Amino acid sequence: MDKNSSAPNSTARRSRPLSPNIQIYRPQLTSVLSIANRMTGIALSFGAVGLVVWLGATAAGPRPYAVVQTAIGSPLGQIVLFGCTFAFFLHLCGGVRHLFWDTVHGFTLRSIYISGWTVVMASVMLTLSAWAISLFVGGQ
Amino acid sequence: MIINSSDQVSRFNWLKRFPVPRNFNVSVESRIEKGRTWPAPADAKRVKAFEIYRYDPDSGDNPRLDTFHVDLDDCGPMVLDALIWIKNKVDSTLTFRRSCREGVCGSCAMNMDGANWLACTRFISDMGAKATVYPLANMRIIKDLVPDQTHLFAQYTAIEPWLHSKTPEPEKERLQSTEERRQLDGYYECIMCFCCTSGCPSHWWNGDRFLGPAVLLQAWRWLTDSRDEAKEERLDHLEDPFRLYRCHTILNCTRTCPKGLNPGKAIAEIKKMIIERES
Repeated sequence: MDKNSSAPNSTARRSRPLSPNIQIYRPQLTSVLSIANRMTGIALSFGAVGLVVWLGATAAGPRPYAVVQTAIGSPLGQIVLFGCTFAFFLHLCGGVRHLFWDTVHGFTLRSIYISGWTVVMASVMLTLSAWAISLFVGGQ
Repeated sequence: MIINSSDQVSRFNWLKRFPVPRNFNVSVESRIEKGRTWPAPADAKRVKAFEIYRYDPDSGDNPRLDTFHVDLDDCGPMVLDALIWIKNKVDSTLTFRRSCREGVCGSCAMNMDGANWLACTRFISDMGAKATVYPLANMRIIKDLVPDQTHLFAQYTAIEPWLHSKTPEPEKERLQSTEERRQLDGYYECIMCFCCTSGCPSHWWNGDRFLGPAVLLQAWRWLTDSRDEAKEERLDHLEDPFRLYRCHTILNCTRTCPKGLNPGKAIAEIKKMIIERES
């Protein structure tokens, strides 16, 4: 017998419906940042492949290096690189937040929300700062 | 926006649900169909629409969404009052659990405007223009707003939520100091409404093996009880990739607890205790 319709007096033969979960549950800073941490983690593992390609091209000689540099320098390449930078900082800040939680600190709802928004703002600031430094100090 | 306590209703309205298809990951028998719309009472001046999840096990039909119109001048201030008003005045087949109507029994836990809470302590005035009422998320539904909690209570039983002692029984009661008793504060108050477990995405995806926040909060309530003498056995049972460690500190649980408790913190305490006994 179906384990989902095991009520002793149930006349229903079909299994009980599952009430909706992610389809209706309101996005909250708690769940949104958790998903963001997952997604940036996945994005960064692809970004790591890109980093290896870039390093490999550097070692392979001037021509492969020039090809990869052109790809990175293209508008699409710059957008991807910017995205990777943001993903890196969001994942880093989120990780630091998790370290505090692992020591059982910052668990009041107020601290959860303050640290959450701090992670968002810090990763935006760090991304913009990193790009500002690379553009204005390091040159293109 | 900073949320200071779990009873604060979010005013953040630009994203009311995750951008996933309505039938994303939904099995055929769980798909929600369009229901009927019940007319507003003729002489009502202040009317509010309630969109309510309905499921009739005897009909053989899928769940559906019915729209009711409640006369606010004839109805109490809480969502539970609106449900009772509908049951009395419009459709007597509307089925839901309720008992104390003051937030101590945990029977009327349901999902209102996308968040789990008790219908008896949620103001109608805090609901959106069209209030939506679903049963607790991710539950097998017996009828309308009544979820089957068999699995949740089986998980509760699995942690053996009673005092384990090895020392001989004392002549009188087992004494605790004031400080020892204080360790239970914030944990013993749980009313087992399962708002937290039902709001936990980890429990949605791994509910068969992950114990969920409500049960893990209870596990901590016994671990931190100075009279309990089975700490090692309790930790042995919990130290498992699924039972405990499917908690990824999402903290939807702490956000949604109608009693203002902190299951997320209780779980972090358990994880810390496991680390400490190994070192």
